Amino acid sequence: MLTAVKNQVRVCVLFTKYNIMREMLNKVTFLTNICFMALNNAAFIIQWVILFHLKKDIGGYTMKEVMLLWGLAASTFGLARILFDRAFALPDLIINGKLDAYLVIPKNVLLSVITSSTNTSAIGDFLYGLAVMCIFSFSVGRFFLFLLFTVTGAVIVTSFALIMGSLSFWFVRAEMFGNHMVNCMISFNTYPDGIFRGKVRFLLYNIIPVGMSVYQPVHVMMRFDLGSLLTVLGYTVLISAAAVFVFYRGLRRYSSSSLMAARM
Amino acid sequence: MRKYAVIYRSVLMENMQYVMNVVMGFISYFIIIFVLIQLWNYMYSSPDELISGYTREQMIWYTLITEMIWFGARSAKVSRQAAMDIRGGNIAYLMNKPYHYTLYILAKYTGEWSIQLPMYAVLAAVMGITMVGRLPQFHIVTLLAVIPCIILGVTINAVFKLCISLISFWIEDSNPFQWLYDKLILVVGTIFPIEIFPAQMQPFLKLTPIYTVCYGPAKLVVDFDMEKCVEILVAQIVYLAAGCGLMFFVYRKGVKKLYVNGG
Repeated sequence: MLTAVKNQVRVCVLFTKYNIMREMLNKVTFLTNICFMALNNAAFIIQWVILFHLKKDIGGYTMKEVMLLWGLAASTFGLARILFDRAFALPDLIINGKLDAYLVIPKNVLLSVITSSTNTSAIGDFLYGLAVMCIFSFSVGRFFLFLLFTVTGAVIVTSFALIMGSLSFWFVRAEMFGNHMVNCMISFNTYPDGIFRGKVRFLLYNIIPVGMSVYQPVHVMMRFDLGSLLTVLGYTVLISAAAVFVFYRGLRRYSSSSLMAARM
Repeated sequence: MRKYAVIYRSVLMENMQYVMNVVMGFISYFIIIFVLIQLWNYMYSSPDELISGYTREQMIWYTLITEMIWFGARSAKVSRQAAMDIRGGNIAYLMNKPYHYTLYILAKYTGEWSIQLPMYAVLAAVMGITMVGRLPQFHIVTLLAVIPCIILGVTINAVFKLCISLISFWIEDSNPFQWLYDKLILVVGTIFPIEIFPAQMQPFLKLTPIYTVCYGPAKLVVDFDMEKCVEILVAQIVYLAAGCGLMFFVYRKGVKKLYVNGG
């Protein structure tokens, strides 16, 4: 059992390694993608400087906390798209019958699918998140918590993308709906949760998992609370289990399109 | 011009078959507007407060209009497709046709937003009236001046995005430059009006595409003024002429480079 897990992890690491090596074939494009994505994220600092110039406190957040929120959101999405980029393109594989190639690999189907591509610009997101954290609110303890929450956040985001993507096993047009739902996570997780009230807040902490991937971790990093930390960890396990369940339930409905194509 | 009209009409007819795709895009628009309404509701301590001369209703309507332009005019035609044509070598076939490649792309792009933008305009109006309320100083007649401003703004945006895509003649991937341009428009142009920036920065911002693409049309909707309208229209015409000049120049240079590389 342990050997099988070790083998699977090794395969996943190799997948990611070769994905990155393939992207590095054109070094100029590779580096421009990373640097410009970091710059792209940094553009939002202007927005927050202006908003904090108008009001000192926004939704209970100061500039330092908003930057931590931004840093965690960027590194979370970054890590998810470095390791599990294909989870965000699952509907395309389902609709066009491209899952066939993964079904014959003698390894875990789900992991083989989601680790089969890497988004280069996501490296820029990940590095930007780390840099923002170190510049605006560095402490040793917070740094390790940040790394932990980046991992849990990446798992939560990937799981949500997988659940949304798996809807394509059942519904036509679920692809667009799923994409919008994943994108809406980005819209929400870059604004303080204090500006949302009532049912929306409930929605963000339960249905769209922004609360557990970014908001709650930021609260824990600012004021440590073991209960909240364990809630985030528990939620991560639950949502990833739900994603695995939904994917394999959907896979039973999958039918090949007899697509003949070369995978380069 | 007739050939471009035919291209425009064919794309228009094609896009009418995919109206449901546009409707699905409403989800993202709704969510972003919802977030911005929550933000501005929080920023205004009282309903009568003014921020840089804007009431809460005006500020939210400003973002509704700028985001409407942003969502309604977004298309992969002037960014991804043009860049892919160049990267993939498809341009070698398209440049021999009896039309100018850049105008061909612009005609196709216009065919796309002609369906999308009016649909987003209806959504913006419905969301604005139901979630914020009517704009007190708005008169329907002002739309006669606002609509040409929006059309010019959208076209200027397309010309600049196409210029960026043409960079693909020199470097493989022009996407990172598109991100930066988009962020300039999105962060500085759509969320707040130019008046919110420090006074020293405002003249500089008026020289950027933000003034002609987002600020101009939205400002005229929330606070119409004839003098301002003429100023914005003149700025848009100058910008469009300069943008087209730049686009033809970059294309001509790029095509020579393509000839050297053999496509």
